[in-house]
Amino acid sequence: CMDDLDQSPTDPDVFTEEDVFASADEAKSALAKLYAGFALTGQTGPAGDPDITNLDEGASQFTRLLFVLNELPTDEAVNGWGDAGVPNFHQMDWSAGNDFLEAMYYRLALEVSYCNSFIDNATALNSDTDVQYYIAEARFLRAYAYSYLMDFFGNVPIVTSVSTDLPMQSTREEIFTFVEAELLEVQDLLPDSGATEYGRVDKVAAWALLSRIYLNAETWIGENRYSDCVTYSEMVISSSYQINTTDANGNGNAYDELFLADNDSNGAQNEFIFTANFDGINSTTYGGSTYLVFAAIGGDMVASEYGVNGGWAGNRVTKSLVEKFNDAITASDSDGYPTAWSDSRAMFYTEGQNYEIETISNTFTDGYANVKFKNIKSDGSTGNDVNQTFVDTDVPLIRVAEIYLNYAEAVLRGGGGSNTNAVTYINELRERAYGNSSNNINATNLNLDFVLDERARELQWEGFRRTDLIRYGYFTSSTYLWPFKGGAANGVGISSYRVLYPIPTSILTVNPNMTQNSGY
Amino acid sequence: GVVTENATGMPIPGANVVIKGTSTGTTTDFDGKYQITASENDVIEFSYIGFVTQSITFSGNTTINISLVEDTQQLDEVVVIGYGTVKKKDATGTVDQISTEDFNQGPVVTAGQLVTGKIAGVNVTSSGGAPGASQTIRIRGVGSLSLTSNPLFVVDGVPIADGTSGGSRNPLDFINPNDIETMTVLKDASATAIYGSRAANGVIMITTKKGKGDLKFNFTTSMNISDPYKKIDVMSADQFRALINEVGNTSQIALLGDANTDWQDEIYRTAVSNNSSFTVSGTYKDFMPFRASIGYSDQSGILDRDNFKRTTASLNLRPRFLDNSLRLDLNARGMYTENTFANNGAIGAAVDFDPTQSVYDENSPYSGYYSWLNSDGYQNSLAPTNPVALINLQDDTSEVRRFIGNAKIDYDLPFLTDLTATLNLAYDYSNSNGRVITSELMPNSSANDDYNGAYTNYSNETINKLFDFYVTYNKEIGKQSISAMLGHSYQSFTYFKYGYNSETEEQGNIEGAYTDDPSKNVLMSFFGRANYNYNDKYLATATLRADASSKLNPDDRWGYFPSFSLAWNLNNEDFLKDSKTINQLKLRVGYGEVGNVNGLNDYLFLTKYNVSQSGAYYQIGSGNYMATYRPQEINEDLKWEVGKTLNIGIDYGFFDNRVSGSINAYVKKTSDLISNIPVDPFTNFGDSIDANVGDMENKGVELEINYLAVQTENFEWNIGYNIAYNDNEITNLPASFPTGGINGGTGNKIQYQEEGYSPFAFYVYQQVYNQDGKPIEGAYVDRNHDGQLNDSDKYLYKDPFADVTMGLNTSIKYKNFDLAIVTRASLGNYVYNNNASSRAYLNRATANSILSNLTTDYYDHAFVESSEGNLMSDYFVKNASFFKVDNISLGYTFTKFVKDSSLKLYGSVQNVATITEYDGLDPEVYGGIDNGLYPRPRIYMLGLNLNF
Repeated sequence: CMDDLDQSPTDPDVFTEEDVFASADEAKSALAKLYAGFALTGQTGPAGDPDITNLDEGASQFTRLLFVLNELPTDEAVNGWGDAGVPNFHQMDWSAGNDFLEAMYYRLALEVSYCNSFIDNATALNSDTDVQYYIAEARFLRAYAYSYLMDFFGNVPIVTSVSTDLPMQSTREEIFTFVEAELLEVQDLLPDSGATEYGRVDKVAAWALLSRIYLNAETWIGENRYSDCVTYSEMVISSSYQINTTDANGNGNAYDELFLADNDSNGAQNEFIFTANFDGINSTTYGGSTYLVFAAIGGDMVASEYGVNGGWAGNRVTKSLVEKFNDAITASDSDGYPTAWSDSRAMFYTEGQNYEIETISNTFTDGYANVKFKNIKSDGSTGNDVNQTFVDTDVPLIRVAEIYLNYAEAVLRGGGGSNTNAVTYINELRERAYGNSSNNINATNLNLDFVLDERARELQWEGFRRTDLIRYGYFTSSTYLWPFKGGAANGVGISSYRVLYPIPTSILTVNPNMTQNSGY
Repeated sequence: GVVTENATGMPIPGANVVIKGTSTGTTTDFDGKYQITASENDVIEFSYIGFVTQSITFSGNTTINISLVEDTQQLDEVVVIGYGTVKKKDATGTVDQISTEDFNQGPVVTAGQLVTGKIAGVNVTSSGGAPGASQTIRIRGVGSLSLTSNPLFVVDGVPIADGTSGGSRNPLDFINPNDIETMTVLKDASATAIYGSRAANGVIMITTKKGKGDLKFNFTTSMNISDPYKKIDVMSADQFRALINEVGNTSQIALLGDANTDWQDEIYRTAVSNNSSFTVSGTYKDFMPFRASIGYSDQSGILDRDNFKRTTASLNLRPRFLDNSLRLDLNARGMYTENTFANNGAIGAAVDFDPTQSVYDENSPYSGYYSWLNSDGYQNSLAPTNPVALINLQDDTSEVRRFIGNAKIDYDLPFLTDLTATLNLAYDYSNSNGRVITSELMPNSSANDDYNGAYTNYSNETINKLFDFYVTYNKEIGKQSISAMLGHSYQSFTYFKYGYNSETEEQGNIEGAYTDDPSKNVLMSFFGRANYNYNDKYLATATLRADASSKLNPDDRWGYFPSFSLAWNLNNEDFLKDSKTINQLKLRVGYGEVGNVNGLNDYLFLTKYNVSQSGAYYQIGSGNYMATYRPQEINEDLKWEVGKTLNIGIDYGFFDNRVSGSINAYVKKTSDLISNIPVDPFTNFGDSIDANVGDMENKGVELEINYLAVQTENFEWNIGYNIAYNDNEITNLPASFPTGGINGGTGNKIQYQEEGYSPFAFYVYQQVYNQDGKPIEGAYVDRNHDGQLNDSDKYLYKDPFADVTMGLNTSIKYKNFDLAIVTRASLGNYVYNNNASSRAYLNRATANSILSNLTTDYYDHAFVESSEGNLMSDYFVKNASFFKVDNISLGYTFTKFVKDSSLKLYGSVQNVATITEYDGLDPEVYGGIDNGLYPRPRIYMLGLNLNF
């Protein structure tokens, strides 16, 4: 009976490596986890079997963390919740013990481990063409995770195969080199532009991510790579992906379709190079678009108008973001505060909301609300979840509009390319936003600050702002201010070491090979 | 003649009757009868274990009936130890045995309540006032960080699986307290090491009552009334109106209603419960003692609709064969419970709900229950749900069935009579079925008129199989005696869980709407014990257990748990032998190693993938949602947590044993502590794994005194006092980490595990106070002097565990009256008052376009915001030391009620008084975070106990 000590799992939901990598079909489910790692929080929806256990499960979701790390410490958003660690983002005084920084580090590093494990195991099935694509996709997803590790934390280990040995720390330069090399390699291994299923990536994703890292190369590693940015942006722009111009709900512009519940099918999908997919029934989480919609509703807002059953009264915008639309104001209230704009990207909810923020904590009505993301389909019906608790809307992680803006900026920073094309691309975005060409710009209007403001208008709340402000040198400066920057009502500059987040304390504790980023 | 028990008049079978100074002797039969031939002036000695030996000089009477008086000092008391028994005077470990007459009286529904406050260093904390609520039992403090610190329960030799299965309230539910004869607590490792890998947190051995002698019947019944005498202090409707009128804006003031509703009164009730049992015991045809009992308990909680109905039945047969050399001990025990769980969500909702609103509103879309509606006519998703609706519109019921049967067979080998072989086979089966049905009328925020309510059901099944075989050898050689035991044990635990949630199905997704979660683990063991006794003066015991668990990887699977202990009975030395003052004085020293894997999941060392469940599929391609495989975190090197305990003790008895008790001092070092620790995510598939890291130390001193203050024919006064000091400290932990989630915000944690501190110490900001001693909101001490306030300024402040616990019990018997009082004290335990921190800040009253009531703590601190700082302030960490009068019972016994029957009538009050500085609901909060506690009621009880 000694053999009885060798028990193996009796649970039909638990599988071994042999099961999972028995065939290309089975392995595809393991690949799906690599994608789901950027969208969901665990193996039970919406919560219950989390990937990351030491933070509230919903808060450990990638795009939600991306919002916390890249939007809350900027002029685009504040959040009024009292959760440990949240107020430190708008106050810009986060420490290495911050739960959300730790969660983001874990989220990205776990993604690397999932990818490494997949690549290690799937190699045995390499004779299958599909599996070759899977492996290339896994390498892309790993590079994508590293691009954020590089942006947020700078100096993290490069690990390409799962091992319990504690890894050595690498430098930001080494990570940049690794990510670039991987993307350059997999661009030839991935499916051709538009040749794969919705939700999976092809060559264009590798080009787009290269465009993004080359744009930031000067900031991150001190190397001017703007001409590479121009090259890869052009490759993306001439691919099968196009900005969405279908006004599926007929409201006069084709911008809001990008953030509606059916954005995987209303035309917006043609603009999406890489997405985190959600569904109110099948793919549920308290992060993702559910967070983006719910957390932005409070005060007098009627939740059902956005296709959900309530609001979490958290996220609002500062007036600095509202001011980016000052050229487009069409109506103001009796106090002179704007209430309507001709630019459809200004989706602010103003009724009962104060323009100025006096109190952030628990005071949702201070600051305009932002209803960019909705759980409403193009035909006006609500998302698939009849209880309206979970949102269908997919969150774009890379879309063509970003690449247009990358191109324009790289051109202006001396990367070559064509000024005329840059103006054309920006005007494509503006025409879509206004529904007509009356607000198009010409070459004289195009300068770096204009591009930054255009990025705020086009990409607000999509997780770009902190990275953008750092690239422009505005993130910590005492000249570019917004309400409550650095914790002061009128904004103050902060120490420049804060352009990098600290390595989380728990990581330093578990891996003595790691050294803290300077300043922390 | 007949030998009987003095107290009960019951015959004593197996008593020794010997003519002093000769080898002539006999033993009494099952009816206590004996026959012996004696000459005039012979001295006849009557003795039986646990009773005072009596001597009679034979003067020619043909019948001598003797009633033996129980030895109150219990020097000859037999105590239960693992795989055997030992006379208390020969015990070398720290063993406390509490038997029937010392059990707590009053409304006892589960076993843990029998010994609350009775034993030094054993703390029993109920999880709240729900009927049949589980208890947290801790022996000598908290022994682990991630694993459970529950002791191992062994019922009639059968180790019980840790934890409850779903749908039941308490793991010890299955046993009717009225069937328990003794509860024996093995505290130190020299006593527990025989249970090896499961003994780190002590062992509680439960021995059930057995039949003997003549046919006897016992009937007990009691009725009790639970009074919800204490609730959370919230603002009255008038106080709340005044507050809103003062601070609210026009639209908020307009929300105020005209009612004066005490929402807590609406959900609590005075509950009536009853409890009965019937027992028959005796001996069948002189060879088979038996006992059979049935019990029925119908317990209602003070929270409306909360109810627990339990039927238990037990049968014990102990036939003897082959001239008493083959002895069977057969136990069968069944339980059936029906639970109606009240919706505990109502407890918090009743605190929050606006007292100016009435319970019902005829315009409400939710079957007339007043609800906070959004402008679209659906319930505001951030509003509390009407507490009365929560109670009335949710059915949460379960049925639990459990059967435990064991057959213990002792056989004295015919060719070697000193050798006894024992086989113990047991089968423990439980299953539960439960369902939670939420009415479609329940106020909900689903903006959908077709809300169908919700239906989930679950069933759990647990099977525990035991095979024990051991041989015992006893030999006396002159003044020395030796006993040895060697055995093998196999135990398997199989779990099956099934859950089903109908909502996903209604949404057209049948696949994956259910989950099942089976698992199995096996424990294989070898064990042995040797005792040596020289002239009753010098005693030595050595034990060794080897355990292998399927939970651990093959290389670390086997653990070896030795112990060694020595005792010296000074009272048997010549210089004390004739002392009238010192009747017992025993010095003990023991060392042992014990393990713990309780609460550890199965298969942790294997590479596994979890497939995602419904709701966690991922879209690949248009409309195609795929299940995903996630590699699971893994620790191939997991091994036992090992506790090493050194214990020094003294057992004493002075002044004719009228003062007796024990003193113990111990140090327990737990190494390879299993903790769920952060792991470098680049090296694994999770953020934390269960791993052997760190060490912990528990040390303490315990003192027990029993004082028989008065003992006359008509009057007896007994006082029992125990006090224990215990200190827990994490002595080594490479990575500190937060724990202890609280209400307020998302994911806030108030406790921290850090080296050099108590486990679960509070990790907080240091509040700054104004001149009037009021806390200044948002002002904290910059403890690291870096000029900014952030989480590096938090510090570890106090912990939830008492430094000192005490029990003081007294019993008085005067003629046929008896009075018992049980009290308890706990000093130095701190509680984080989460009700005061999360339900009492001003902004909460008007947040989310609704009104919410505040607890009266607001008047003390006047905090406005629920900021992280406010939540994490040390202001809310309060000293919760307490003194409680747990129970007062008064009884009267009619000794000759009808013929030989006796009838006892008694009444008791439970939860009589609490003295504490703590201003929350109840200072007794296991784990130190006070939120949502089900209030403990005061219980008045009347009962009768009839023997015939």
